[in-house]
Amino acid sequence: MVLLFQFLLYIWMVLVILAAFLWAPLAEGLGEYTRILYFHVPIAWLAVLSFLVSAVYSILYIRRRQNRADWIAESANRLGLIFAFLATVSGSIWAKVTWGTFWNWDPRETSIFILLLIYAAYFALRSAIDQQDRKAMLSSVYSLLAFVTVPFFVFIVPRIYSSLHPDPLINPQGKILMEGRMQITFFTSLAGFTALFIWILIRNINLIDLRIKLKQMER
Amino acid sequence: MAPLYIVLIIIIFIWSGIFGYMLHLEKQIRLLRESIKKLNKGGVNLK
Repeated sequence: MVLLFQFLLYIWMVLVILAAFLWAPLAEGLGEYTRILYFHVPIAWLAVLSFLVSAVYSILYIRRRQNRADWIAESANRLGLIFAFLATVSGSIWAKVTWGTFWNWDPRETSIFILLLIYAAYFALRSAIDQQDRKAMLSSVYSLLAFVTVPFFVFIVPRIYSSLHPDPLINPQGKILMEGRMQITFFTSLAGFTALFIWILIRNINLIDLRIKLKQMER
Repeated sequence: MAPLYIVLIIIIFIWSGIFGYMLHLEKQIRLLRESIKKLNKGGVNLK
């Protein structure tokens, strides 16, 4: 079953890459850079999804006080930070070739930079506390508060301020202005990346369970 | 540099980040499984 899932995901992502390069048309004004859309946006989406998962497990920890929930929240935040970093760097390479500079404090860039700082501080907080219960409780509360800022920085700020960044996928009128084949490729990619995220998260949970098992055996 | 190469660089960068992390994860899982196996056999004390 696991192997089948891996195999299907592999085929799915290969199809996404092929569709992005050979099937989907190019957007006016963006040219070849249109293809980045199918990878850069899903990665940014996965960062948001990771922070959401972390917030959910933080609530679970606060309610049930199980270390497992705290460790899953931590691993989800780590994933979120990795995806946010990948989205930031890939975006800044794109900015260099289209805007002429890697960084120009565009609202999108500023938002993701602040989010990176907020979630980096989560790990600084964790590393500053030795006692497990205290660490878990404080970082769970912090993770929840941090997540409150995510919709604001990711979905609201870029729609309030004018930006050089291409329009958000769903524009302020609530419509997706994209050619049919582009839409299919984009949503196929989004689904593939989301499945990949679920797979990585499951492997993280497996790792946490193995660590718990090892600790129990060592006692 | 041609736009297509820039696109390729960005996509390779994203995928190498994901694969790098997945490889790291799989390695950690493998090492932990080996440790548990060794403990089950009673051969090595990890403390």
